[in-house]
Amino acid sequence: MSTQPLTMSVSKTDDQSAFFWRKLHSLSGIVPVGVFLAEHFWSNSYVLVSPEKYDSVGQELQTLPFRPIIEAAGIWLPILFHAGYGFYIWSKGKSNAFAYPWMHNWMYTLQRWSGLVAFLFIGWHVYTARFLTGGRSNFGTVHTDMSNNLYAAFYLVGVLAASFHLGNGLWNFLCKWGFAATTRAQRAAAYLGAAVAICFALAGVLIVYSARFNFHPFAGYIQQ
Amino acid sequence: MREPKIIVVGGGLAGLMAVIRAAEAGVPVDLFSIVPVKRSHSVCAQGGINAAKNLKGEGDSTDRHFDDTVYGGDFLANQGPVKRMCEAAPGVIDMLDRMGVMFNRTAEGLLDFRRFGGTLFHRTAFAGATTGQQMLYALDEQVRRFESEGKVKKYEGWTFLSAVLDDHRISRGICAMDLKTMEVRTFPADAAIFCTGGVGAVFGRSTNSVVCTGSAQSALFQQGADYANAEFIQVHPTAIPGEDKCRLMSESARGEGGRVWVPKKPGDKRPAKQIPEAERFYFLEEWYPKYGNLVPRDIATRAIHKVVYTQKMGLEGAPAVYLDVSHIPRETLDRKLEGILEIYEKFLGVDPREHPMRVFPAMHYTMGGLWIDNANQATSVPGIYAAGECEYQYHGANRLGANSLVSCIYGGMVAAPAAIRYARGLDKGCESVSTVVYENERRRQEQINDSMLHAEGTENPVTIWKEMGDWMTEHVTVVRNNPDLERTDGKLLELADRFKKINLSDRTYWANQTLSFCRELQNMLVLARVITRGALARNESRGAHYKPDFPDRNDAEWLKTTRAHYDCGTIKFAYDPVDTSMIPPRARRYDAKA
Amino acid sequence: MDTAAPGGGNSGRKVIVRVKRRPGTREEAHWEEFALDWRPHMNIIICLRDIAERPVTRDGHATTPVSYEANCLEEVCGACAMLINGVSRQACSTLVDSLEQPIRIEPLTKFPVVRDLVVDRSIMFENLKRMKCWVPLDGTYDLGPGPRIAPEVQEKYYPLSRCITCGNCLEVCPQVNENSDFVGAAILSQVRLFNAHPTGAMHMKERLAAVMGPGGVADCANAQNCVEVCPKQIPLTESIAEVNRQAIRQAVLGWLLG
Repeated sequence: MSTQPLTMSVSKTDDQSAFFWRKLHSLSGIVPVGVFLAEHFWSNSYVLVSPEKYDSVGQELQTLPFRPIIEAAGIWLPILFHAGYGFYIWSKGKSNAFAYPWMHNWMYTLQRWSGLVAFLFIGWHVYTARFLTGGRSNFGTVHTDMSNNLYAAFYLVGVLAASFHLGNGLWNFLCKWGFAATTRAQRAAAYLGAAVAICFALAGVLIVYSARFNFHPFAGYIQQ
Repeated sequence: MREPKIIVVGGGLAGLMAVIRAAEAGVPVDLFSIVPVKRSHSVCAQGGINAAKNLKGEGDSTDRHFDDTVYGGDFLANQGPVKRMCEAAPGVIDMLDRMGVMFNRTAEGLLDFRRFGGTLFHRTAFAGATTGQQMLYALDEQVRRFESEGKVKKYEGWTFLSAVLDDHRISRGICAMDLKTMEVRTFPADAAIFCTGGVGAVFGRSTNSVVCTGSAQSALFQQGADYANAEFIQVHPTAIPGEDKCRLMSESARGEGGRVWVPKKPGDKRPAKQIPEAERFYFLEEWYPKYGNLVPRDIATRAIHKVVYTQKMGLEGAPAVYLDVSHIPRETLDRKLEGILEIYEKFLGVDPREHPMRVFPAMHYTMGGLWIDNANQATSVPGIYAAGECEYQYHGANRLGANSLVSCIYGGMVAAPAAIRYARGLDKGCESVSTVVYENERRRQEQINDSMLHAEGTENPVTIWKEMGDWMTEHVTVVRNNPDLERTDGKLLELADRFKKINLSDRTYWANQTLSFCRELQNMLVLARVITRGALARNESRGAHYKPDFPDRNDAEWLKTTRAHYDCGTIKFAYDPVDTSMIPPRARRYDAKA
Repeated sequence: MDTAAPGGGNSGRKVIVRVKRRPGTREEAHWEEFALDWRPHMNIIICLRDIAERPVTRDGHATTPVSYEANCLEEVCGACAMLINGVSRQACSTLVDSLEQPIRIEPLTKFPVVRDLVVDRSIMFENLKRMKCWVPLDGTYDLGPGPRIAPEVQEKYYPLSRCITCGNCLEVCPQVNENSDFVGAAILSQVRLFNAHPTGAMHMKERLAAVMGPGGVADCANAQNCVEVCPKQIPLTESIAEVNRQAIRQAVLGWLLG
């Protein structure tokens, strides 16, 4: 009986590009897009201090060296890639949240719709805040925009969608990169994601409210 | 030298093992299975696999295993093959271990062993309570590897119809039917190894899977392969009765400390938990102090029958006794028995960790099967080999728990090289057999299909099957009386007659399960008679075969292998001597004091 | 015929079952309704057997027995997965009394239907092949015992080895559909199992290379339905995350350090 040892069968080299792009997509939602979102909320939250502070921070950001390059490489391209590949992923899946209404299944579906809403919002937001103002958006223009009910409502929806998408995306990222591997860790990651989403949503709503109603709760900091 | 062509029919443990051995030898194999092989009945084996590895410092040895097996089988097994099997068993466990079977482990990382029926040693390696499943998967994975290397071709979803025999009654291949397209096709081969499992469906409800009909064995029997010891049917003492099947509650439940009892007061209506220890009748422990709850299955089954039917002590008057593991720590239960306790919980909605299980014996295994020789797993038809439950060789009159998995693997290991040797020794291979031989067999089988599909009778096959099962279970299992056996044989003839007036409610040629079931039923009706007539003839009690009118073992007249032969429609019996050259027969008593 | 008709129940209680029938791969599907005699502990397999014994619809039309897959009837073989009241599960362990009536029985939707409730799940076995789900063995001849394994390790991985390839996890996965070749949770969990075995781990690289290929682990989008529906309670989402981790480590470290 011939019993030569057998080695693993050699198969054709698998095309691993999809793996690379999927993981990059997941990562890009956190870094740089998520990080930018955090920065954006942060700089906008100066409106809670005073309109002047808000305008000066805006001015500060406008005058960063290499700004167009940083914006293109760190914000526009990643967002376009994240959105574009996201739509491609969406096209590959078929939501079934009504048939199987488990929480994470709803999250799966909502992640797609919130991504779409956030993307449309970002497009409109850039158009109105950047192009219509000729890059000279300040508290005055924002306040005018926010005084428009439809504008404010769309801002709220956009901010909430983006917050959810980031929080849930963070959870997804932690699972999909294998950082949260056990059920316990995944539950913790889900709480972390939820906390992030809630924090961003609260901050976002507060900023919109502040811009619309001239509400500056931290104005007292300036005297000190 | 020409490459021999081997076919394996059946993808359970024995079949897959045979395939692996053939593929390793570089011989191309075609594997046929009704179901995807990963769904074979071997998955239902729960408790474990025996091997005298002696890892518990008890002084166990392969000789002790050999003795326990022969004694447990009431000396009806040929001792040569049993001895070789027991000697091979430790190596079999090592091989499975290397394949990645998730056996339970000791603190040192070695294989853990538990106790099983019919032995006083910890000899049973186990993977939770799903050992058969784990083993089947391990073999399945190896076969898949060979398949991906092109050494094995699988025909899953094909059912075996008949062997193709040439003019010299030598097997030259098989005839099989695709269960999807209903295409009937012949497959030339120099040798075919049958590993087609048990015959549970003959008894209607058993612990067996749906595919365990014995149809293939019966078809071969009708083509001239002898069938041995058919009357030895193992009835497992602890199963959950059900309308669709009786679900096994493994002997490992008792191996891990489970106890069988009934209330001392017949008809006691109190919930089990409220019956104090003193008012419980642990009849196995009382009657068999040395082995206790771990007496062999035939003994335990008869004891339960006695308690229920003679002493009228069944639970609330019903045919049921308690199998109690509720005193064992939950953590131990989940680690060692989860698989089976989960079954009880799922199907009955009661947590057996809290409440004793209600169980009753159910048909479980056939010790008998295709007759094979003592060395090569070769049947009486040249070119046909058999391994696993479908043959008769290793268990005598009663199989010990956890020995079936050994015999499956060992049988497959022996059969494949033997079949290859035979094939290589042939003067002319199957390729030189006239195509007419194949064509005739194919046409014969197609005609059977056509005649069934166009039969214009009134009988429903499912009804016939149920009646057969009810009769067989009532009269040809635990307790057998000659008048009942006679009546059963008459009933089987009546059913065979009614079968001729069958009417298939499905006459299509696409995935027609009614047709394939009818083909199986026809074969089952023949096999049922082999079992019944074999039991009728054997006027003694031995192992699982128990006749109150002949309560003792009778070695002078009946230390013989029953060998049924099919001759132009009649079943004839001959009796072969049993090889008892190594362990002289002695009285089999498990009730001795410790 | 059959006076002792299915059950012959005298309680008079009926079980109403609607079965989605499809005679073949090309024919259109249609529904048939049956009224069966109720008995205690009745499961879906018993219902289908009742129909086989008396293939007559509720409104009295003769029909054919329903084709379906079933084998062990105790939820270890994986054969009888189907949609029961819209949920993917094993027919044998689905008790009639736990269901709302009429009970709707349909074939799985993510696999090609052969006939009635019979679907072709061979893709799962093919994918096991693709993902090299086995421990490579030099041979089955006696080479002594296998590697020692700590009891905790055995207890951790034993649940994975109980996968019955039923396909429920694929059925409920939004990422498994005709647009995608995602292999699904069951197969990825097997990859984890073989990567964990001391001998299997020797070939982790090849397995992970396959897992990073088309239809591999990256196609999981974390809906986590698989783990909800698994009849064997296998921690599938842990498996996927673990395989993700292994794959990323291999991708990053492999790129950095070779």
